[in-house]
Amino acid sequence: MTETTTKPASGTGNPPGGSANGNGRSSRFNLNSVLVEGRALIALIVIVAFFAIMSENYLTGGNLTSIIKQVAFNAIIALGMLLVILNGGIDLSVGSTVGLTGAVAGNLFRGLHVPFTDAILFPQVWVIVIVSVLVGMLVGYVNGLLIARLNLAPFIVTLGMLYVARGLTQVFLNGQNITAELRGQEELGNTGFFGVFASSPLGIPISAWVMVVLAVIFSILLTRTPFGRWLYATGSNTRAAQLSGVPVKKVETRIYVLSGMCAALVGILQIANISSSTADLGQFYELNAIAAVVIGGAALSGGRGTVRGTIIGALVIGFLANGLVIIGVSPFWQQVVTGAVIILAVAVDSIQQIAQRRRNARRAVANLRQSTRSTPPPAAA
Amino acid sequence: MFSKKLSRVAIAGIGVALMGVAACGGSDSGSSTSSSSSATGGDTSSESSAATSSSASSSASTGTGGEGGTIAIITVDPSNPYWKAEVDTAVAKATELGYTTTTSAHKNDPDEQQRLMETAINAKVSGILLDPAGAEESIAIVQRATDAGIPVALVNAEINETGIAVAQIVSNNAQGATIGAEAWSEAMNYTGTYVELFGNPSDNNAQVRSDGYEAVISQYPDLQKVGEEIANWDRQEGQEKMEALLSAHPDITGVIAGNDEMALGAINAIKAANKIDQIKVLGFDGNQDAVNAVKAGEMVATVVQPIVEGTNLAVEQLDSFIRTGSTGASEEKQAIDCVLITTENADTVNNFVISS
Repeated sequence: MTETTTKPASGTGNPPGGSANGNGRSSRFNLNSVLVEGRALIALIVIVAFFAIMSENYLTGGNLTSIIKQVAFNAIIALGMLLVILNGGIDLSVGSTVGLTGAVAGNLFRGLHVPFTDAILFPQVWVIVIVSVLVGMLVGYVNGLLIARLNLAPFIVTLGMLYVARGLTQVFLNGQNITAELRGQEELGNTGFFGVFASSPLGIPISAWVMVVLAVIFSILLTRTPFGRWLYATGSNTRAAQLSGVPVKKVETRIYVLSGMCAALVGILQIANISSSTADLGQFYELNAIAAVVIGGAALSGGRGTVRGTIIGALVIGFLANGLVIIGVSPFWQQVVTGAVIILAVAVDSIQQIAQRRRNARRAVANLRQSTRSTPPPAAA
Repeated sequence: MFSKKLSRVAIAGIGVALMGVAACGGSDSGSSTSSSSSATGGDTSSESSAATSSSASSSASTGTGGEGGTIAIITVDPSNPYWKAEVDTAVAKATELGYTTTTSAHKNDPDEQQRLMETAINAKVSGILLDPAGAEESIAIVQRATDAGIPVALVNAEINETGIAVAQIVSNNAQGATIGAEAWSEAMNYTGTYVELFGNPSDNNAQVRSDGYEAVISQYPDLQKVGEEIANWDRQEGQEKMEALLSAHPDITGVIAGNDEMALGAINAIKAANKIDQIKVLGFDGNQDAVNAVKAGEMVATVVQPIVEGTNLAVEQLDSFIRTGSTGASEEKQAIDCVLITTENADTVNNFVISS
């Protein structure tokens, strides 16, 4: 069940905060891992229970649907962010990428003016979606190249891209929301956008389905493929990973592409959700995503974090934000509470790690004493 | 190895360039939709301070040598249709009167406003048209421009001081909120429960509008507010908050929103809950999406601020002051009344312009 934070490629990288001498899945490490993830889960249970007691309108079908929808938007971006954070990086450009993707899609619905002619192309919906997602991936690719190949700091590159993408969003929209065009026109054959991207198969919003599918794919990617092992290894210790043959640069570039792809998917889903492409779409999404990843037990220094934890982190934020509105907490205090929960989650994580490190140290000392007392050289602890 | 690295960087460069080319196409197609924006398509969208300072400094040379000089237009946020209309109108009017223009946006940030105003003052422009960021916060910088001999006309919002700016032309938000709330109360049959979506709390107008609504609605004791959320003028946030409010108060029959974007978000949430026939929504601003929603019967009413009329007036008075030393208006503060938009007159509104 615990995802393989203890399996560094060829045994070179030591996961920070993990048991330094654990070269397998010792039961103690499992326990710690459960605690780290369980912390977010416990928080989630406490939050849900609290608000359910406070208001009978909290755990209703309709409200759960809207919570899940909001959670999914955040979680999809957070999954991309998780990969980046596992690598020890950060992607601040995702919120702007959401806006840019929405603007690109909106403009494609409005028709593509062919240069030097009077012709206007109206692409079909699936073409629009694919092109928009590719734009998001291109943004990520540019981020990745600059970070991996030119060795620029991820914080700075993606901060710059935050402005570039937001600016381009505003250029594309030129001060006008795109609303009516998203419906498409029968005679142009570009209808059906809302039929798919604002639908609720089996009563569950499409964004939640996308979240589940992505979570499964990313989970497999991280735990069952060389790419996943490389990612954890580079995040733990880049130099060691490089020396043991991990294609560090390639891994680093790809995660930003995947992060851009996740943001692009949210861009598409979100303009379908609010039935309009607006210039402010996606502002501050990056911060919510980072919060979800961190509440889910990931370390910003890289090498530690799981898909499951991230999803739980997004659920914590979503259930909390909705609950505060439902029980009628003043909007000003809502921000205070949300911020406090994030800090609390990280603080508990840190305290647990300190305790774990002390336990490890005590054990190492005990082992050492034991081995010096016994005359034959120690084989294994 | 090295050439491979270079080629990657080249690809990245091409990618950026492609986005740029595509972006130019985007602004072209956008400008064709409204006649006034065609002159400004490229100008208004590059509203970062960097772009501003470069255009302002380049205009300094034209300002001294040109015929009419330069008018610096400093607005709030042209990515919003409302302020886009303001900028487009100002640029068109100033150009018509023989001025060159620079445009920039402060996004309601007094610091940014200070920088942009200083840039304009240093560039020795002939006049400044400002949509101020804060009634108190903007006084000092307007004073500084006036002291430097540069006349400032204010549009859309006011400052708490007279005798500094040459003209203050504001849309009457309190009056707009009053007529909107009257129409909405009537549609509610003066009874029922409702929730309010509040704009950005740091924006003066959020409170003015909320107070205006309250002043009217409090006259009807059977209208009861059961919830209030901040949605920061934003459509997506309006939708998210409305979904939660609908869960908390499934029986509400009304929503009042501080602007149209939040109201449109609320309508999305209400439609998803299949309650659009039951809940009456009030917006404010009169942007085109909202006018369409009024036509479709999804929004009870919105209020158009006569931003085009007000901006034209402000530029004319600024021009008059630059040429003759007098604006020609009897009062410095001039309030232009807002216009109520319901199903009856929704057809006459097009991009903030009401044709009678």
